[in-house]
Amino acid sequence: MTQTNAEPAGTGGAVTLPEVRRQRSLWGDALRKLVRNRLAVLGLAITSVLIFGAIFGPALAPYSYTQQHLLRTAELPSGDFWFGTDEIGRDMFSRILYGARTAVMVAAISTLISVVLGMVIGAAAGYAGGWIDSVILRVTDITMSMPSILLAALIAATVKQPVINWAKNVHEQTGFPLFADVTWLDLVIVFGGLSLVFWPVYARLIRGQILSLREKEFIEAARASGIPALQIAMRHLMPNALGPVIVQLTFSFSAGMVLESSLSYLGIGIQPPQASWGNMISSNIGSWSYRPWLVVVPSLTLAIATLGVNFLGDGLNDALNPRSSTK
Amino acid sequence: MLKYFASRMALALPTLIAVLFITFSLIAVSPFDPVKMMLAAAEMGLDNAENVARMREALGLDRPFLLRFTDYVQGLLIGDWGTSINGQRDVWRMIENGFPVSAQLGLAAAVMTALIGIPLGILAAVKQNSWIDYAIVAVTLVLRTMPVYVLAPVLLIVLVLQLKVMTVPRGWEGVFSSKAILPILLLTFGPLAVVVRQTRQAVLDVVSNDYVRTARAKGLSDYLVVARHILRNALIPIVTIMGFVTEGLIAGSIFMESIFAIPGFGSVSEAAFRGFDYPVIMGVTIVSSVLVILTNTIIDMIYPVLDPRVRLEG
Repeated sequence: MTQTNAEPAGTGGAVTLPEVRRQRSLWGDALRKLVRNRLAVLGLAITSVLIFGAIFGPALAPYSYTQQHLLRTAELPSGDFWFGTDEIGRDMFSRILYGARTAVMVAAISTLISVVLGMVIGAAAGYAGGWIDSVILRVTDITMSMPSILLAALIAATVKQPVINWAKNVHEQTGFPLFADVTWLDLVIVFGGLSLVFWPVYARLIRGQILSLREKEFIEAARASGIPALQIAMRHLMPNALGPVIVQLTFSFSAGMVLESSLSYLGIGIQPPQASWGNMISSNIGSWSYRPWLVVVPSLTLAIATLGVNFLGDGLNDALNPRSSTK
Repeated sequence: MLKYFASRMALALPTLIAVLFITFSLIAVSPFDPVKMMLAAAEMGLDNAENVARMREALGLDRPFLLRFTDYVQGLLIGDWGTSINGQRDVWRMIENGFPVSAQLGLAAAVMTALIGIPLGILAAVKQNSWIDYAIVAVTLVLRTMPVYVLAPVLLIVLVLQLKVMTVPRGWEGVFSSKAILPILLLTFGPLAVVVRQTRQAVLDVVSNDYVRTARAKGLSDYLVVARHILRNALIPIVTIMGFVTEGLIAGSIFMESIFAIPGFGSVSEAAFRGFDYPVIMGVTIVSSVLVILTNTIIDMIYPVLDPRVRLEG
């Protein structure tokens, strides 16, 4: 690495150093490790298909998610209906695609809200210290001491009716067309519930990272050379704290999909006829013994989707965590 | 040491009160009005505004929010947990009846999780990056990722419809009956991956320490190195995840029990959420949170016993 400086000025043209010195950045290394990990690549593929399905699903779906084929109810998978039809004659394949949109939307938005919330709160705790730090820590403790499915279910079940009433009132008084149809509020309530469940993880993660990083020499050097605090935070702290956050993102994403399905399974998440994998399982689980495919199709879809995202997360974890590096 | 225990307890109590308060506030904004429900249930046309107001006053429900909260907490302490909306049953009774069943299932599953998870985790770490490691991590991850309401029907379809090795287990005949096998396994699958992953990581972390290299260098057998130097130190992070295990068991039982018609705490919870039965929702949330808080407090107390380096401060 050091011979570049020792090179006499005259012979510079003859020596071919650049191709030997391949750039090996942290992210480049991580990417190489990720690609070498077969499970992670599989996960990446599944995640890509999932997101593709969520975005273009409605365009790809052969039927509408509510369209009933009343003469062909509860059919086995066939050429017309790839995954069969459910008990009231809706195409399962189309509903799975629409369900993918629900799952991905809920997972992505609630992860996004919670990561922003957690980063702001966690950074505040890490930077401010003192009583602000202890209050924030206590709040995260409290939120994390309630089982996440129960907390999410509790929020969804209690807040739902008041929010819907409020929206109806707003619609009556202002005639605001957005509130005429309140089915989308189900989604908003689920976003809210899940974000409130997820944010403490990020807050603690960021706080911990900041606490450990801000004592490091390179931060001290930056501070000593008079770089403003905000710039230190953006240029030096955040990039270094990003690895664990990215890993956590994938895990919350899959947890978000599962929690959305769980809430919908319990009947307090996405309401029928909106398609959600959870309510598809819930409405068909009673007939598992004589129409197994109606349960198996949404179940396996949910399992494969969450699995794919988790494999990707595990791969990222191994790739970004220098301690678990293996060669 | 005693001071440390006292400070841990002192930390648990405010958490508990905050959980109660959050639950109570959330239920307070819910559309559940106990007075209207009561008068409507009497079916005598009594549920007009005047009666509702009078009844509210008689029951003290017109009092300020904080006073009602302290009333509720007092009620909790003397066993008055309210009445369910669906069926007018005593909430404490419902929980009291269901809880022992779920507790037995949960304990059995926790033991299974440790018995299966720790050896698998060690094996995965020792054989790091071999196909054994990949298989263990992948299979447990698959099992964890699938929620109980996905695994249960799929397993039933495979075992009952395809392989025909069993009939559908329904009902509760004690934790040692054959009907409990599948439910216990299903509860185990959830937290298993957490234990395996934690064990694996802990062992890997410990392995890279100097004292393990020394132990190896002085010629100790692999078995002795694992048993004496690695496992002892790796146990600490494994114990700390028991809170997650408890949480996983609670969440699992909510979805598992109704599928197998087990009359436990999980069935009570699921029915409460499905029926928007707010007093019961509140009860089960409180009981579950108390369980998690208790587990975490107990772990905090065991922690310094396992690891003398942990500073005993509040």
